[in-house]
Amino acid sequence: MQPLSEQERAKAFTSSKKPEVVHRQRLPVRYHVEDFDVGDRPQRFLQAFAAVLKHTNYRLALDHYVRVCAQCARCAVKCQVYLATGDARDVPCYRSELLLSVYRRHFTISGLLRARVLGDPGLTDDSIQEMAEAFYNCTACRRCYFECPMGIDHGLITHLGRYLLSEIGIVPRALAVSVREQLVGASGNTSAVPVPALLDTLEFLSEEIKEAIGVDATFPVDQQGAEYLFLPAVSDFLMEAETLMGNAAVFRATGDSWTIGTGDFDGINYGLFYSDQVLEHVVKKIQAEAQRLGAHKILIGECGHASRTARFFYPTFCGGKDALPVVNIMEYTHRAWKEGRLKLKAGAIAERVTYHDPCNIARSGWIVEQPRELLKAICSDYVEMTPNRRDNICCGGGGGTVSIDEVQPYRMLVGGRAKAEQIKATGAKYCVAPCANCKKQLRELVAEYGIDCQIVGLHDLLYKAIVFG
Amino acid sequence: MESWIEFGRGPLFRITFALMLLGLLRIFVLTLTGVAEAYSRNPDKIVNWREVVKQTIAWLFPIKRMWKQRPAYSMISLFFHVGLLLVPLFLAAHVLLWKRGAGFAWPAIPQRLANDLTVVVIGAGLGLVCGRLLSSGARKLSRRQDVAWPLLLILPFVTGYVCSNVAVGPKAYDTMMLVHVYSADLIMLLIPFTKIAHCVLAPLSQVVTAVAWKFPAGAGDRVAATLGYADRPTWVKESRAPRSVMRDEVSTK
Repeated sequence: MQPLSEQERAKAFTSSKKPEVVHRQRLPVRYHVEDFDVGDRPQRFLQAFAAVLKHTNYRLALDHYVRVCAQCARCAVKCQVYLATGDARDVPCYRSELLLSVYRRHFTISGLLRARVLGDPGLTDDSIQEMAEAFYNCTACRRCYFECPMGIDHGLITHLGRYLLSEIGIVPRALAVSVREQLVGASGNTSAVPVPALLDTLEFLSEEIKEAIGVDATFPVDQQGAEYLFLPAVSDFLMEAETLMGNAAVFRATGDSWTIGTGDFDGINYGLFYSDQVLEHVVKKIQAEAQRLGAHKILIGECGHASRTARFFYPTFCGGKDALPVVNIMEYTHRAWKEGRLKLKAGAIAERVTYHDPCNIARSGWIVEQPRELLKAICSDYVEMTPNRRDNICCGGGGGTVSIDEVQPYRMLVGGRAKAEQIKATGAKYCVAPCANCKKQLRELVAEYGIDCQIVGLHDLLYKAIVFG
Repeated sequence: MESWIEFGRGPLFRITFALMLLGLLRIFVLTLTGVAEAYSRNPDKIVNWREVVKQTIAWLFPIKRMWKQRPAYSMISLFFHVGLLLVPLFLAAHVLLWKRGAGFAWPAIPQRLANDLTVVVIGAGLGLVCGRLLSSGARKLSRRQDVAWPLLLILPFVTGYVCSNVAVGPKAYDTMMLVHVYSADLIMLLIPFTKIAHCVLAPLSQVVTAVAWKFPAGAGDRVAATLGYADRPTWVKESRAPRSVMRDEVSTK
């Protein structure tokens, strides 16, 4: 990868914040934070840490990680941030050590003894500032996890670090404002889309489908007892018309019952990025809507983190094996195609197409081959990025950072640098990125790097290839 | 000096060896019970066990995986580990000590192989230390123990090699043997309390991580309640600061 030039480095790390804000908050990070109590942060951080250890399972992982981490730095070769900056502070095990050292010093017997003997003063405000920067430089993509011989999940440590910071008020304002609107705001979703606007959009999209392909494909709303309750990232209703039309067209072809609920039509869950409490409340909001409508399954649209949070945390927070099944729309479409209920036109897309694996659905091996099989069925020139599948490189906007506009230069020049080179090397005309966050980041990336490639969703292309009986 | 050597490889060895075994057993069992406890805290029992087993085995025998990234470093590290395990356990002189002290033993590796492996361990250990010290990035990552451990680990290898292969005077021999025996005892004593505990804990990493992602239901609210946010969830602005302090924070410069 091309190393950062001095000019690029300066641009990537420049903060747009007013100096008086930095001074008032004593927090020299690039993202904006709502004003919070800055008094005795180390003490409050440790109180939050103690409370989290008391009520959660993190102690198990922390105990294990402090015992086994050899600081061997093999993880460095997998981190797109480190590969761009070359800064040792961006090596995943260095970043994790920031938090592990706090745990070791304040919550283990050996740390407490050591402190007595050596007079270690413990957690300082500087350490909190360093963590506040480091844990939001990481995109929590978990690619480094597969390179750690000790099996340390630095993504989990980043998640915990951000959670603890949020408990003392350090959360990027962009995320906090969205979550507040979703959980206690009037609209109940992260983009503040009111229900009448949603209904107008859906009606418009139905008309568009009719006009474009002559098929009556509707978006059912508040249907009782539907098989699937559909929740895309709410931003899709504002920005991804083609994806949604593709979703509706698939259901028109399969004939299965589905519905969008006006009580909750947002799959976005920023809790994954900074708070277990938020994570759980957003998941339970989906559960409440599914119960209200008597839906049998939860269907998440093309969005990586929304899919992961629903799939892996719905059982966690909503009753284990008795919880409703969670399906991703790509899984659904793939299954329907395999069962012969969805017919696709071979060679419908003549231009070169490549596929970007969103970290949150590919890293676990959950959705890797399904979209590829669908794309190969409709594209005459499909190429892979290198590396790909579970080892794919993060778009650079993961972990919620894509929603933080003030770090955009960093996302372009550092986080997304490797991805831009990857896309460019394919020479593809279309890059399929089935994730709302990835799409936004990649569109900004191709514009920044002048790459002639259109970023689309999987269903954008399927929409052009469905054969109606 | 001879009596000190006898003490080091006799009673002291038995004590440090027992402490090492008990210490490692303790943290292994503690980790396992921690996994069981965390697993039982949540009704969600869905764990991809196949993936856990696959990744665990892949990292226990990383031959195929390691060459893909940083092959030279991987090779040094691998040979270092192989030598560290094989020589102390299968050197003919050590096997003989076991036979003499415990009454049982196992086959030894040829002396020539043991000698070669000892040289490999010493070279690899020094290579690892140099790698850490010569690169400014690696220096920043390294804690004191990360540099000290390879040096401590090769100390019994260096002294053992000299005792076996170099013609030295009796006094120098005894000094070397003394360092050999006591450094090995020290290593065994420290293993359970330091990062070298990965020798028994590494196989549990994958299951620990898999279970750690199972967040107990209601834990977020309980944390908030403990911190006094029961009626003021953390996402509510008013819990942090009055709204009046919010203003445009973007510099116009």
